[in-house]
Amino acid sequence: MKHEPKPNIADYEESIKKFFERFTLVEPKDLYQLVPYLEIREFGKKEIVLKEGEVENYLNLVVKGMLRKYIMAGKKETTLQLATEGHMIHSETSFQTRQPSEVIIESIEPSIVICINAENTRKAFATMENAEHISRLLIAYMFLKKDARLVNQLKLSTRQRFLTYLDEHPHMLQRVPQRILASYLNIKPETFSRLKHLVVKRSSKSTAKD
Amino acid sequence: MVVFLRKFLSQFGDVSEAEVEMLVQCGEIRNYDRKTIVIHEGETEDYLNLVYKGLARKFFMSNEEEVVTQLAAEGDLISASDSYLSGKPTHYFIETIEPTTFFSISIDNINRLYALDKKWQYFGRMILTQLLSDLERWEIDRIKLSTKERFIKFSETNEQLFHRVPQKFLASYLNIQPETFSRLKQSLKSQT
Repeated sequence: MKHEPKPNIADYEESIKKFFERFTLVEPKDLYQLVPYLEIREFGKKEIVLKEGEVENYLNLVVKGMLRKYIMAGKKETTLQLATEGHMIHSETSFQTRQPSEVIIESIEPSIVICINAENTRKAFATMENAEHISRLLIAYMFLKKDARLVNQLKLSTRQRFLTYLDEHPHMLQRVPQRILASYLNIKPETFSRLKHLVVKRSSKSTAKD
Repeated sequence: MVVFLRKFLSQFGDVSEAEVEMLVQCGEIRNYDRKTIVIHEGETEDYLNLVYKGLARKFFMSNEEEVVTQLAAEGDLISASDSYLSGKPTHYFIETIEPTTFFSISIDNINRLYALDKKWQYFGRMILTQLLSDLERWEIDRIKLSTKERFIKFSETNEQLFHRVPQKFLASYLNIQPETFSRLKQSLKSQT
C-alpha cells in the first residue's frame, strides 16, 4: 500500500498567502510571523470536526477538501455554511466566548485545514505588531459573508437563490450531496431536483448548439 | 454623554477618562424625528451609530415585504455594517421608530482612532465580534426555536422593547405572522 506523506504547512504557503491577499493591508512579513503558531489537521470523509456542546478551540482555513457547518433543530439538520479551499470555517461565537458550540462542523470530503488554536492566537496577539489589525479584518470578512448569506436567503426567490448560487459556484452541484446543498440554500429536496433538471436540460441544449 | 460613552466602552474592557474624552471629540450628535429614514438601500454608510436616546430599526425589502433584522434602543449600535465594512452600497434601510438621538462616529474618524492607538483597534475588534455573534444568534434562533419559543424568549429578555416597539415590526423581527403574534400576545396576557 502506498503511504501518503504527511501534509506540511510549507506545502500550503501559497494557499495561506492567497487567502490573506484579499486583505490588501496585510503584508507578507506579518504572515511569516504567523507561521510558527499554525497547525495542520487532516480529516477523513464525513468526520465530525466540532461536536455540538464542545468549545471551539480553532480557527480553520480549508486548504483541501470541503467541510460544512450545520445546526440541529429537533431531528432536522440545517446547513449554514459550506467551506471549500480558501474558506474559513469554525464556530466564531464559541471561539470568541468560550461557550459550548451550538453548531456542528463535519467534513464532506477528505480535508486538510491550516489552523490556529485559541492559546496560540493569544500568543500571536502578544508578539505580532499587526495582530489586532489582521484579526479585525478577518472578523469583518466573516461578518460580511454571513450578512450576505442571510440577506440572500430572505431576499431572493427559491429559483433565484438556486441560479445565483450555481452561477457563482458552478462546481458545487457535483461536489456537494444534494440534500446538503438543498438545506444550505433552504430549498425543499423535491423543488431542488426539479430546478436541477431544468439547469441540466438548459446547459445540454446550449452545448448542442455550440 | 461622557457617562454614557464610558458605560458603552467599558463593556469591552478597561477604559480611561482620556479615551472617553477622545471618543467624545471624534463623534457628532445626530437628531432624527420619528419615522425618518437614516440610510436608504443603495446608499453608502459613513457612520457607526450608537443610540443615545430613542429607538430605530434596520430592515431590508424582500419583494414588497419589509424584513426587520434589528431593533436598537439606548446603548445599542445600529449601522448599515454591510456597507461600512465593504465600502459598497447597503442592502438595508435604517429608520427611526421614535424621535432618536445618535452618537455617530464617521468612518474617517474611526480610521483615525485605529491609527492613533492599538487600544482603539482592540475596541473595534470587540465591537465587530459583538456584531458577528448577534447576527449568528438571530440566524440560529430563527432556525432552532419554534414561533412560540422565539416570542417568549424575546418577551422575557427584552421586556422594555416588547412594549415600545409597534407589533408589526416585532412580528417581522421574530419572523412570526401578525395574526399568530396577536394570538401569542393574548395568551401571554391571560397567563399573567
